[in-house]
Amino acid sequence: MERRSFLRGCVVVGATGAACSTGLLASGAAIANGSDPFEATSLDAVLKALGADDAQTSNQIKITAPKVAENGASVPVAISSTIQGTTEIMTIVSTNPKPLAARNRFGKGAAPSVSSRLKMGKTTEVIAVVRAGDMHYTAKTEVKVTVGGCGG
Amino acid sequence: MEKSTIKIRVKEKDGEIQLRALIKHPMETGLRKDEITGENIPAHYIDNVVVEANGVTVFSADWSGSVSKNPFLLIKFDGSEGDKVKLAWKDNVGNSDFIEKTVGKK
Repeated sequence: MERRSFLRGCVVVGATGAACSTGLLASGAAIANGSDPFEATSLDAVLKALGADDAQTSNQIKITAPKVAENGASVPVAISSTIQGTTEIMTIVSTNPKPLAARNRFGKGAAPSVSSRLKMGKTTEVIAVVRAGDMHYTAKTEVKVTVGGCGG
Repeated sequence: MEKSTIKIRVKEKDGEIQLRALIKHPMETGLRKDEITGENIPAHYIDNVVVEANGVTVFSADWSGSVSKNPFLLIKFDGSEGDKVKLAWKDNVGNSDFIEKTVGKK
């Protein structure tokens, strides 16, 4: 929680400097409406907290993930966007207890693509939400998980 | 010197830098229970990663416990050989680490 209040502080004060550059890159939308998308426990709540409940489906977002994952503890997921002006890519694992997995922000000169590995508790949709300007776009794919990744 | 928690490779090709990083971290969600004691394992995960090139932030990410243990990250951004790239992370209990590397040629 400390991080978020820190970010909020950055936005309010508008301070510059390396430590605050994260805050300056942030869209501020989720921070402004007061609910933390990372704490949301359903897909709808996440989208609402991100201000992305009106996101349009787009075929310009590419999600690369296995159709079947044997090990849900580490599923490689790559997301890229060819939408002009993409500044953020949010990664959502819809059936996880806290669906929002990552919020990636791209600065100047960065390619709007990111690859990482995610946990998936059970078979799920992986949803990408792309922010470009004031608009949100979305795409999804399904991953079948044979062994869940959330342990005990 | 203590061993860094971050392994990083930064290579330039045709004006684009590819950064691959592996971070050693348990990434506990806080939702798991200890199999023996039955007690909750407290949340312990990286919640912020920042990548800078020559002092300018090119990428930043907020993560949750849904990112896998020992997270992997691959991103690309404009740049050239010799650029100084820095990757830093922070976690939810206040730990942090960073690494700096000069971009090599692919």
